[in-house]
Amino acid sequence: MALGGRVALVRWIVLAVIVVLLITLPLWATQGMVNVSLLVMLYMAVGEMWNLLAGYAGLVSLGQQIFIGLGGYSLAVFTEVYHLNFLLAILIGGVVSGVFALVISQPIFKMKGIYFAIGTWIVAEALALYFLNWSFVRYGLGFNIRTTYNMTTDYLYFISLVVGLGSVLLVYLIMRTRGGLALMAMRDNELAAEVMGIGLYKTKLMIFLVSAFVTGLAGGVLYLNISFIQPTAAFSIQWTVAAVVIVIIGGIGTMEGPIVGAVIYVVLQQYLYDFPGFSMIILGVIAISIILVAPRGIMGTLHEKFGWEVLSARRNPRGMKAVAGSD
Amino acid sequence: MEVLLQSLVNGILLGGLYAVIGLGMSLIFGIMGLINLAHGDLIIVSTYISMVVALKYSGNIFIALLITVLVMIVVGFFCQSVLINRVVDKGAEPPLLITFGLSVILQNVLQLIFGADAKSIPTKLAAANVITTPWFSISAIYLIDFVVSILVILSLHFIIMKTYFGRAIRATSGDVMASELVGLNTKRVYAVTMALAMITASIAGLLVGMTFTYYPTTGTEYLIIAFGVVVIGGMGSLVGTLLGGIILGLAQILGSYFFGMAYQLFFGYVVLLVILTFRPQGLFANTK
Repeated sequence: MALGGRVALVRWIVLAVIVVLLITLPLWATQGMVNVSLLVMLYMAVGEMWNLLAGYAGLVSLGQQIFIGLGGYSLAVFTEVYHLNFLLAILIGGVVSGVFALVISQPIFKMKGIYFAIGTWIVAEALALYFLNWSFVRYGLGFNIRTTYNMTTDYLYFISLVVGLGSVLLVYLIMRTRGGLALMAMRDNELAAEVMGIGLYKTKLMIFLVSAFVTGLAGGVLYLNISFIQPTAAFSIQWTVAAVVIVIIGGIGTMEGPIVGAVIYVVLQQYLYDFPGFSMIILGVIAISIILVAPRGIMGTLHEKFGWEVLSARRNPRGMKAVAGSD
Repeated sequence: MEVLLQSLVNGILLGGLYAVIGLGMSLIFGIMGLINLAHGDLIIVSTYISMVVALKYSGNIFIALLITVLVMIVVGFFCQSVLINRVVDKGAEPPLLITFGLSVILQNVLQLIFGADAKSIPTKLAAANVITTPWFSISAIYLIDFVVSILVILSLHFIIMKTYFGRAIRATSGDVMASELVGLNTKRVYAVTMALAMITASIAGLLVGMTFTYYPTTGTEYLIIAFGVVVIGGMGSLVGTLLGGIILGLAQILGSYFFGMAYQLFFGYVVLLVILTFRPQGLFANTK
């Protein structure tokens, strides 16, 4: 126990150092590094949210771009048309995403497994087509998001940092509550979980709404960074492709997975910036190989082989192991 | 009235093409419960191969089809036996995500080789009308789409109902363990079925290329059409696939007739979502 306590202390110190380094990053890092870290933070949030759905709740969504698009468009419309403060507009984007998720949850939850995956994708494609023909959002012309024109990278970075770290913290907190336990029970055996008195529908709905809200926020900040929005790009499957690739490589069903995955994804994209397409081919090949060879991804495999776990969903992982090892 | 009649005719003919687009997916879904998320992209890959071959042999469509079919059989067999077969018995998600990864790779490879511009397979048929009546006309290419689709569906029906291999497919989709007990190599059956699905995809790809323009990311559109056909028709039923195609084609064309051209695809998606919500097992699932 004393050893366990010391390891826990070391872990908290390491985490604290990382957070301090991240907060002070603009002071000591180059502009390029700040830019990359900014993207890592945002993709990390998108990945964490897909992981929450697919890795913990067993809901394989292929429609996360719905919420990226709604978040981005909320930012564009509420700053360009209604001249609201952009932070407020991003928050509205999160709320709009959550409300839209609530509206589609009724029909979409009737679709199970593969049907759910395709159903969410079709909703996104339909939304893209609707926006292309909607005069209020200026059809396919889109918006220049001018509120971001005189914003510094450092400022954008801090907003992204809040979203990125916030999403990790949120997943951590959710997994540590009864809801998180219910979620894992549900993923491992739906029938048994329901018999034990877990409200499947309510738990899944809550996760779906949380994931929509945060992905909407991340979408708003992503488009704050991109500063131009247009329907086919905003509701493109590429956003979900990014989330899936990030989570698969990092490790599905682990909290650190999306962090590692996002770093790999963003760095590779930036490194091969002059060869668009190449990075996606490489990432696709890596993702498929990982599914075939090490289906739990980098972090999942490390945990399996070496017991490496920084953020555990279990309150006392060592205790668990002791029990498991005693018989 | 004439326009409505014309829309009905076009919708039905287009439905034939949609049916052949969905055929391969229905086959795969029926036998291993897997939605091949790369199906649309594999169709577009065969479209590009057909285009290259057709251009090389001065527009000979038959040579183009033959070579495309051969290439796609190899591709399908490879994808199934090397990639998907290894995870096919490990739950629903791994195979689904593998095909998703394949889709990403294929789209980007096409983009690297051919660029992002829209392309088409040049043919004289696109502008010609074969039947012209006072009320409606039928374009040659739409008629060919429809006739070829019916032929493909009939041939597939024959293969599945009358041949040894067809019996193997039906046995495997019925009960995997029992099939293995009587000595079937079910993974081999999967691989050959995928190759068969790729033959239908090659034909669909050529027809798509002669009928519409396409670019590397068009696959997504055809994936959703294929999925729509499978969902509306109910899986496993070939007649259902044809009816599913026609219903989806009519929904789109009539949607565009009543709500404007811009809403053609949108309306198809909405019909699909409604069916998915209220009758996810398909409209014709009970006819089996």
